[in-house]
Amino acid sequence: MAAVDRPDRRKFLRGAGIGLALPMLEAFAPRRARADRPADDRPRRLVCAGTYLGFHQPDFFPAQTGRDYDLPPVLQPLLPLRGRTTVFSGLDHRGRNGHQGWKAWMTGSAAGGVSLDQVVAAKIGAETRFESLQVTCGKPPADARISFTEEGIALPMIGRPSVLYGALFGAAGDKERLDSLLAGNRSVLDGVRGEARALERRVGAADREKLGEYFASLRGVEKKLARQRAWLDKPTPRVEYPLPEFDPVAPDLALECESIMYDLMALALTTDSTRVLTFMIPGWSQVFTIGGRRLSAGYHGLSHHGNDPAKIAEYNLVGREHVKRFAAFLERLQANRDAAGRPLLDTTVVVFGSGMGNANTHDNSNLPTLTAGAGFRRGAHWKIERGGPAPRLLGDLYLTVMQQFGIEIERFAGAESNLNEYLA
Amino acid sequence: MLPLLAAALASAALAAPPALSAAAQPLDPSARGFLRRHCAACHSGAAAQAGVRLDAAEVDWREPEAAAHWERVFNALSRGAMPPADAPRQPAEAERRRMTAWLDARLREHAPAGGAVPRRLNRREYENTIRDLFDLPEFRVPDSFPADDSAHGFDNVAEGLILSPPLLAQLLESATRAADEVLPPGRGPAAAESKHYEIGAAGLAAGEGSKPAAGRFRLASSRNMANAAVWPKRFEAPASGVYRLSIEAAAFQTDKMFYPPRSEPLRLAVYAKPKAEQVYDPLGKLRKLAVLDVPPDAAAPRALTVDIELFKGEAFGLHWQNGPAFSDPPAREYSITFLAERLRADRLYYAAMLAYVGGPRGATQKQIYDDTAALMKSGKLDLSDPRLDKMPERWGGGLANAPHNWIKAFVQEEMHRFGPALDLTAAAVEGPLRLIDDDETRARKARKQRFLGARPDGASDREYAETVLRRFLSRAFRRPASDEQVAAYADLAAQAESLEAGLHPAVRRALVSPHFLYRGLRPGRLDDFDLASRLSYFLTSSPPDARLAAAARAGELADPDVLERETLRLLAAPKSRNFVSSFTGQWLGTRLLEDIMPDPRLLKFIDHDRRAMIDETEMFFAEIIRENHPVETFLDPGFSYRSARLNKIYGGDLEGNHMRRITFARGGRHGGILGLAAVAMATANGVDTHPVERGVWLLENVFGEPPPPPPPNVPAIAPDTSGAASMREQLRRHRSDPSCASCHKRIDPLGMVMENFDPVGRWRGRYPRYTQPPDGAEALKEEFYSSIGRGVAPGPPVDAVGVMPDGARLEDVTDLKRYLLDRPDVFARCLTEKLLVYACGRPLTYGDRRAAARIVAEMETRGRGFRGLIAAVVRSSAFRIR
Repeated sequence: MAAVDRPDRRKFLRGAGIGLALPMLEAFAPRRARADRPADDRPRRLVCAGTYLGFHQPDFFPAQTGRDYDLPPVLQPLLPLRGRTTVFSGLDHRGRNGHQGWKAWMTGSAAGGVSLDQVVAAKIGAETRFESLQVTCGKPPADARISFTEEGIALPMIGRPSVLYGALFGAAGDKERLDSLLAGNRSVLDGVRGEARALERRVGAADREKLGEYFASLRGVEKKLARQRAWLDKPTPRVEYPLPEFDPVAPDLALECESIMYDLMALALTTDSTRVLTFMIPGWSQVFTIGGRRLSAGYHGLSHHGNDPAKIAEYNLVGREHVKRFAAFLERLQANRDAAGRPLLDTTVVVFGSGMGNANTHDNSNLPTLTAGAGFRRGAHWKIERGGPAPRLLGDLYLTVMQQFGIEIERFAGAESNLNEYLA
Repeated sequence: MLPLLAAALASAALAAPPALSAAAQPLDPSARGFLRRHCAACHSGAAAQAGVRLDAAEVDWREPEAAAHWERVFNALSRGAMPPADAPRQPAEAERRRMTAWLDARLREHAPAGGAVPRRLNRREYENTIRDLFDLPEFRVPDSFPADDSAHGFDNVAEGLILSPPLLAQLLESATRAADEVLPPGRGPAAAESKHYEIGAAGLAAGEGSKPAAGRFRLASSRNMANAAVWPKRFEAPASGVYRLSIEAAAFQTDKMFYPPRSEPLRLAVYAKPKAEQVYDPLGKLRKLAVLDVPPDAAAPRALTVDIELFKGEAFGLHWQNGPAFSDPPAREYSITFLAERLRADRLYYAAMLAYVGGPRGATQKQIYDDTAALMKSGKLDLSDPRLDKMPERWGGGLANAPHNWIKAFVQEEMHRFGPALDLTAAAVEGPLRLIDDDETRARKARKQRFLGARPDGASDREYAETVLRRFLSRAFRRPASDEQVAAYADLAAQAESLEAGLHPAVRRALVSPHFLYRGLRPGRLDDFDLASRLSYFLTSSPPDARLAAAARAGELADPDVLERETLRLLAAPKSRNFVSSFTGQWLGTRLLEDIMPDPRLLKFIDHDRRAMIDETEMFFAEIIRENHPVETFLDPGFSYRSARLNKIYGGDLEGNHMRRITFARGGRHGGILGLAAVAMATANGVDTHPVERGVWLLENVFGEPPPPPPPNVPAIAPDTSGAASMREQLRRHRSDPSCASCHKRIDPLGMVMENFDPVGRWRGRYPRYTQPPDGAEALKEEFYSSIGRGVAPGPPVDAVGVMPDGARLEDVTDLKRYLLDRPDVFARCLTEKLLVYACGRPLTYGDRRAAARIVAEMETRGRGFRGLIAAVVRSSAFRIR
């Protein structure tokens, strides 16, 4: 009994590994060889952006597969970027239906699992000011969460442009305060280490082991503070951006906010402030006004369209607005260059889609999925067959993405294969 | 073969014989002789049964598993479980007694009561401690705070409360937040220039019950902020101050209104809305700033002006307070009453609603109105339908197709078109006219004053700091701070330019100090201060209050009567709620309910039901404390606490949806921990039940004889929900394996007896047979309690008979109750041990269990009341040792 109940002492050391790096299997070898590219040829950034209420699948997925497909209505704004994007159909997590499916979008499970972006951030996040950033617009519903730590804790999202701007390109006042807190915390930690040492001298072996956790935690926190300190001394990049005087966080203004957030995300990547971004595209129950026309019902109401063509048309209007803003973001990444003079988009993996499949029934199969930038062979629609002995999951796509970043991982959220055959 | 003992010892891992060491003591020759004669045949050498060796010549009591190993040997021998009945030779009674007496003496010597390591405050205790220490009743740790692991059944057991770098980082951040509350960072109110903000009707954000129209914004109902109020899209107060709000508003009434024309003014309430974002703000939680009257005959807009106080970042919200629909709703009940009245007053509409409800899913408000109006005009409605004489039985719980949602949509649209409604045609804000302190700033200033106290006359900064710190550290560390501690913290404070700037890091340091984060840093017998902390965290999950701390300082707690008096006082205090919810949440598993979603094919289950189940459990438990009912009341009470909805799970009728006390005859199926819906749900998975899970749960939590974990590599038995093979048959096959049988003969009968309770605790005579996959099944639209829904067919009948290892035959759960009532000490001892683990934060040793046995034995003289039992636990020697 004791052996089962005893807490795992490794728990407080965790943070290093998710999934096991299994010995290379013969069958995987050729595909892995393509995923295992040399470090300097790997993609450098990951962006994941998804809507809460999905897209109308028949107007998102092209009717034809391969390169020669007709761009469906919702994807029209991507026309100029057609050669740089890839549409995948047939992928999902075989997960539960309903809004909870959202939490599963990047984790593959409704709760308690780590999300794709955090796996990648653990690998590539250390060199930038922010290991990763989570962004949305305004205040999403409580169940709308996108990024989860390894412990399954939902990461908070920044919903105000002024807050994201402040974090990235910072104001001096906050810096002074942070500086004094960090300096004070050094003395604080030195002080409590002394207290713990004094305790350690007068207790027995079992208590000393317990205090060992305390000392190990102190060391961990000190490292974190040192990192924060180092970044504090480096000036934040200076950018010219006409931030509006007022944060458009009211529900009616979500599309306006969405454009600004994409702008700021592009700036964050261009200034190398972070290399991992997730964006929960806004839109919950509010009534949108598009092209001067107020829609007949709230976005959530439209998503339950009941196959009414008028409602589907309005639902698609919102979907298309999202794609339009996403396309503008990709254009910006294409125009901006990295230090080596390459377009940012060429070295960035972008995953766009939703954790919602058929919005009408809030069914979570066949999730709208689109990739852009580095990685997959572009300019095509790949239809992944659902059947077969080893069903292909959205997690397979994530595995390929992770492997692209040099992460040795063979399993993620129930997926055990990959989509390396679609790599460029 | 000694399977029970073998399995029990499997985790004690005696695969390798203990190495000879200086600390090893030779076994008593007579004990060794006993083991050789009666045990060694099976438990020797590398081939010892299940790796359990009883052939060593020595025992090293410092081996961590030695005490557990010998206690199990002791239990097996004293209960007569070993040697097995089919052994070739049984020890004589006297021989057995000598052996157990010898073991008892050794165990008392080597496994005395106590032995915990320091206990870190868990998340809940930490929250409560910060609340008390800083007078911050609303303090909460952020969601990012890691959850605590539980050990030995509870999340306040020392060895499970690991500290990790991410947790310490969070604690440091949290310390900064708390320090800010008593020593706010010195940022004066930002000077803000007064400006004019033109908002206009088009600049107002729409809730669902309000609509922009040409040049105006129409409010047509009085529901909550998100649904039916308006607020400015692009205005949040740049600084806390007084703002001048100018509005133009008109009353919209037409002669086509369903409602009589208004003769009173239409009241427009102005609220402080925390943010411009959409938040479901209940009006009762917002600050009401003003009420503006719009005369009922004001067909043309009237100008209204009022000065309001807004805090930095707040917007204002406008709400039509006395509209006919859902005025000032205190609760959902109110709007249901309103809607019912509307149906009563308008039979034609009711008939149309009945004909239309359940129509197109997700229909818009306009569509619902147009379709219903067309039906009303069609002349085809049957006004003699008897259903029109009573109100709809079900009002739904938020489903889009629930009748009340259709009526709401209809009424709102009708009012938008014909009135009455309140039109806003212009809005503007000017300000801040002058700056003010917001509530938070005011509260922080008051807190700072309390924290610092008055500066003693003529005191230097150093002396003042020491005074403040001595008081604060003594509370934070829950014992008088030593002079060295005060000096060390004052040194830290002296590093800054000002007193306050220096105290800030000193407060942060205290909140990550081991003296704050851990309790019980001194091994052995607890001193008065550790004793006070143990008592108060046990019964309130909070640090000692002023009275208990004073008793500790005065050295009064050494007196058991004082300790008992404090125990009864804390149990009667409101904070004992923390004990009730935390202890039941873990002992009875109600905390698990949050993670269980009953299968939608079985019933429609909403959060309200989950809450009601937990409330029932907690109110039941609280009454047993309050009334000092005998502990047997847990098994067979004549009362419980239920709401109408909850009572349906038990198959009864009740009026009203609040929780209230109900009484019933004892000895029945429901009632008591064996029949609580919460327990039935917590011991199942929402879809089906598993006798093994429930049997293990009962052994662990009611009988106090937890079975060892199953050996590895044994496949789990999964219920066959197609109904082809019965659970009983599967278990029988399982038990035919002798290595499984030894435990399962204890587990299975208990589990089977509970089989009449379905995954939410409803009584059932037959198993359900699922005929549709969970995702494909159509969700239930009605609330089902007494039957099962589509996607489920009646399966095989439930056969709940269980035969206990002692031969007792239990037909169903009522027999199990009687079985336990006939052996009252079994449950009393289990409960006592649970209380001890929770209170002391350690797995129980042999000595602890002896203390528990003594407490139970003394119940005969003390009385069997539960409150008395808690007091006896506190008075026991085990409670006073770390």
